[in-house]
Amino acid sequence: MNAQDVPPPGPTAFARLTCWKDLLAPYLFIFPFIVSFLALFLGPAIYALLLSFFRYAGYGKATWVGLRNYTIILNYDVFWIEMRNVLFYWIAHAIPMVILAFLLAVLVNAKVITRKNFFKPIIFVPQVVASVAAALLFQNFFGTKYGILNNLLGTQIPWLTDMDLARWAVVIVLVWRGTGYWFVICLAGLTTISNEIIEAAIVDGATAWQRLIRITIPLMHKTFLFVFVVDAIVTLRLFAEPNVLAGKPGTLAPVEMAPVINLVVENVRNAQFGLAAATGWLLFVVIAFVSWLQFRLLQRKAEER
Amino acid sequence: MKGAQRYRAEHTTRQAAAHLLLVLACLAFLYPMALMTINSFKADAEMYVNPAGFPQRWTLQSYGKIFQYHGGMWINYVNSVIIAVTSTVLSVLLCALAAFAFAKYRFKGRNLIFSLLLATMMVPPEITIPGLYVIFAKLQWINTLRAQILPTITPVLGLFLIRQYMLDIPDSLIEAAKIDGAGHITVFWKVMVPTSAPILGAFAILHFMSVWNAYTWPVLVATKQQVQPIMVILPQLVDPIIGFLPVWGTIMAGCVLSTLPLLIVFVAFQDKFISSVVIGAIKE
Repeated sequence: MNAQDVPPPGPTAFARLTCWKDLLAPYLFIFPFIVSFLALFLGPAIYALLLSFFRYAGYGKATWVGLRNYTIILNYDVFWIEMRNVLFYWIAHAIPMVILAFLLAVLVNAKVITRKNFFKPIIFVPQVVASVAAALLFQNFFGTKYGILNNLLGTQIPWLTDMDLARWAVVIVLVWRGTGYWFVICLAGLTTISNEIIEAAIVDGATAWQRLIRITIPLMHKTFLFVFVVDAIVTLRLFAEPNVLAGKPGTLAPVEMAPVINLVVENVRNAQFGLAAATGWLLFVVIAFVSWLQFRLLQRKAEER
Repeated sequence: MKGAQRYRAEHTTRQAAAHLLLVLACLAFLYPMALMTINSFKADAEMYVNPAGFPQRWTLQSYGKIFQYHGGMWINYVNSVIIAVTSTVLSVLLCALAAFAFAKYRFKGRNLIFSLLLATMMVPPEITIPGLYVIFAKLQWINTLRAQILPTITPVLGLFLIRQYMLDIPDSLIEAAKIDGAGHITVFWKVMVPTSAPILGAFAILHFMSVWNAYTWPVLVATKQQVQPIMVILPQLVDPIIGFLPVWGTIMAGCVLSTLPLLIVFVAFQDKFISSVVIGAIKE
């Protein structure tokens, strides 16, 4: 370094100032997000974890109870009934929904369909209707006395008060509203299958059916797994559809139909914050397991490519 | 010749069959929405005798009632708009600011903080409910609009999506602006925001929709009608005189009104709207 490279004193001070600003700038940019995130998400989540080891009614003293909240929930039959309900909702709606979404995507993607851009938005449009509105719509549709379906059939079938039927009503709402979403995902997956493969199969004399079974479905089956797993997480967080469909105005659904989140909501309403928090964290354990499964499956997918 | 003819005939049949299937599917998807719209033009009383058919008398009575019931449900509609708009503006702003730093600056702890944030995406938001409720109760924020807005303003998905997009914006744009004398904030507003407008818009749509449709948390923290969003009050609507009987005409009018804003945006943008809604899943 020679003497000429030493900058004059004035500009150095300015350079140092900008340097200091440059260093600070990124922290200032992330500051509002990070602070809000800590205060409104991570903080309350950790606070809930702490609460799950206490008995606390929202005022007065919190009593340390160790793992008792967790054992209470795990020994509470309602928790298991609601877990079973969620499992039912997931299996019962995901399978027909994925099949329907896939078949619709195959149809819309077919060469014979000339107006793809006409059908795509129509299949997707139920997604625009809010869950609550969709549930109300079907509550009206399946109503016993004044319902649309019973009116059309001239019957008085208790679609929503007979729990075994009402669970299927929830499934119908989920399929109606959700198919469009996964249809778009399947369509995106289908367009990634190269035309060369398909054309080679056509040259070899494969029929449309053979192409579907032998080429398209095997190439898409990772997409199906992805849909299935992501949908499991969505279903574990289910709340609006069953409660609006099967609840009387202003009340939640009966236990036979309730999803797990109801246990969180009811415990908060009863000021049993420890139990509510424990339920939430148990739910997290299940979701973490499902996410881990998804990660593993996607990793395998990446390796196979 | 004969083969070609047979092929063409088969092709036409197949085309007709495929179109027929799709039209049937579309009708099935549209039918409930059509019912909702048609029934919103019936009077509440007619809904008890004629729930399935066309209105014997088309009337806007149900829409009028929305504005009368419970001292005017327009309050709840306005609440929904305030909550969703405020939350969308705040979250897009917070996400864009942070995404800019994560995409275009090198700073200590950047990767660590970012991966920690991504890891929290696995945590279901419902987990914060008991904690948030206790904190908000202490602050006396239960039954306020901010209790519904604030927990939604830091979506990590938005941060992630916007950062991914900003990573692809060439550094030369920023350098050029800096040579022109732009400071950090000017670069953000004049370079980053305009160039990442597509993802900001897409995420805004996705976020607006999720806040507009929110039910679980609002149903807990908004028990007074004054602060309830439309989604919370709609399922509670009953006949003001008899009680317990749902007023289906009015409820359907409410459903139509709650769908309309999103439907208008959907019809206007279609493909862009669809890709914004599925953006979270497609990106993986």
